Amino acid sequence: MPRIGNSLLRKAHALDPFLPALLAPCRDIHAAQNELRWLRQHVDRVAKARRARGDTLAKGSLLRQLVSERASGKPLQYILGTEYFGDLEIRCRSGVLIPRQDTAASVTNLVRLLRDAQKLPPELRLLDLCTGTGCVPLLFRHELYTARDDVDLHILGVDVSPKALKLAHYNMQRAHRSMPRGKMRLIRADVVLNPFADQDGDALPLKVALNHSGLPPFWDILVSNPPYISPSNYWTTTTRSVRGYEPKLALVPPSIASQSDTEQGDLFYPRLLEIARDVEAKIVLLEVADLDQAQRVAQRAHNLSIFDGIEIWRERPDINTQAPAGVDNVSIIGEGNARSVLCWRGAGAAWLGKATASAGRDDALRLFRSYGHLPHGDASQAGTSPMEPQFDWPTTPPSEQDLPMAFHNARIARRSRDRFRERLSRRGTGLWTDHPYPEDYYFIRTSFGLQKRRRKP
Amino acid sequence: MSILPRLRLLPSHASTPFNILRAFTTTPPLPAKSLPPRPTLHDADLIEKFLHGSGPGGQKINKTSSAVQLKHIPTGIVVKYQDTRSRTVNRKMARKILQEKIEEMELGEGARTRIKQREVSGKKRSAEKKRRRKYRKLGEVEGEREREEGIEYGGGELDGINEVEGAKEVESVGDGAKKEGEK
Ligand SMILES: C[S@@+](CC[C@H](N)C(=O)[O-])C[C@H]1O[C@@H](n2cnc3c(N)ncnc32)[C@H](O)[C@@H]1O
Repeated sequence: MPRIGNSLLRKAHALDPFLPALLAPCRDIHAAQNELRWLRQHVDRVAKARRARGDTLAKGSLLRQLVSERASGKPLQYILGTEYFGDLEIRCRSGVLIPRQDTAASVTNLVRLLRDAQKLPPELRLLDLCTGTGCVPLLFRHELYTARDDVDLHILGVDVSPKALKLAHYNMQRAHRSMPRGKMRLIRADVVLNPFADQDGDALPLKVALNHSGLPPFWDILVSNPPYISPSNYWTTTTRSVRGYEPKLALVPPSIASQSDTEQGDLFYPRLLEIARDVEAKIVLLEVADLDQAQRVAQRAHNLSIFDGIEIWRERPDINTQAPAGVDNVSIIGEGNARSVLCWRGAGAAWLGKATASAGRDDALRLFRSYGHLPHGDASQAGTSPMEPQFDWPTTPPSEQDLPMAFHNARIARRSRDRFRERLSRRGTGLWTDHPYPEDYYFIRTSFGLQKRRRKP
Repeated sequence: MSILPRLRLLPSHASTPFNILRAFTTTPPLPAKSLPPRPTLHDADLIEKFLHGSGPGGQKINKTSSAVQLKHIPTGIVVKYQDTRSRTVNRKMARKILQEKIEEMELGEGARTRIKQREVSGKKRSAEKKRRRKYRKLGEVEGEREREEGIEYGGGELDGINEVEGAKEVESVGDGAKKEGEK
């Protein structure tokens, strides 16, 4: 960072003795003046609140302290305790990532498309993974509710960090008080944990956590701004204030043996896409770091073969420039750095006002087939544990006519297998119970119609 | 980078005593009701930029500036607004100021801003200042006020230089575009 020149410092000092210190984080006088004004307003408010309580406050010394904290790089948002996110004011706290304007722009653009939809489900379910302050679903809700009153939003925010959850809870409560509509929930879960892995950590894998909390398994829209910075990019491309003050947990995915730097940066995306498929999300919006990562994510989404359309959005997706669709028909929309990847399938196309949609049956078939494509959904993995029951996984796609049934059964079988593994993994924890699960049934088509059968243990 | 350009901007705003004096001697003050309608802005005529310098963006930087720059293509007027921490409020303010500037350009002394200036005097002028100050805090008033700390809607002092006119930077194209936050 270049040194700030003496003449600039003198100029700043002449305007206000507090200004020179703020030049370091702000770099120019106008920005420093703005920050100083905001800090002063903050100090005034604090003083007013103290007075109301009968306390007094030395405003000058508080201001001096805050200015020096800011001068040493502490983010203004942590000092003031809030950040603006679209129309909303979101509470911030150190230990939880500060919401970014770019994220708000993606969310606003998503809702801009949805608010014109002819028909949205009366109960629209929104799942936000890695929710942090809760800013993403809160802005989504605010934007949708100001445009439509025919939709009831059910929101679920997920994070692994208790600090984030506490803050998100606070933000959600405030939002609900000022607009008491719909439902909001938060759960603690780990979205990268394999549900079949040994669970020695204290956060449950998402699926298990959903089951435990009695939350619905299906969600219409999945959004996520996951940690996406690779270790080497962390050191070379983030600003000092980010590295010095924001939680690394929110920025850099965990390292797993034998993965490359890039793979580590991308770690969340395969998991998120897999969850999107499992919850049968019709719209998926994932934030990314740059165009390269966007393209890798789009490619993965494409390989899943369940989506009708994929787009890459830049920082200003509302600006109407569209690059011609490149590889695999993925168009790049807007201006600025690439910032998110949007995928849709089935009814999601109509909600977004996109032309491409596939018939319900094709959509179901794709969804069904895709279970063969992902690690945990791979039928060949069944039976790796000697205690596991062998379910009859169809290996060839069923005929057109039997599809819905086969699809349904495959889903049930899969659930049942998951639960079984979960029970196994819980044996040692004292949580294990042995009542039969409803998924231990399956259906067959007979000449009398549908018949329910109990699975043999 | 310099702060001089901001001073250069002042003349376009006729708040000098001379103007006011003349206004009072020549034109009877009009009631606010007869103000001309605001000119409508067409999106196609506007180029809006969020100024944050170049860089990777996203999670990699936590910037505090939500500066908005708005250019009106037909007239070449450029307005920049960055006084609040809220990008949405800055956008709205930039639009409002741009409307005023276009009108002043088109109508001269008949513009709403000029008429209003003639209306306000003495005490009223300080009320006008307050009004402007209020805009700045607009949007910072979202949510409840009961919280004690961590929120910044203060009845804050302004540090003189930013007051009223300094709040915005207006310039015509080709007038040496200012760069914000040179790195
Ligand atoms: C980049 S922040 C995004 C926060 C918020 N959505 C936003 O846009 O401001 C990523 C969040 O993911 C959470 N996180 C990190 N690892 C996680 C995991 N394995 N499972 C769930 N959440 C995780 C962090 O605690 C952090 O709050």
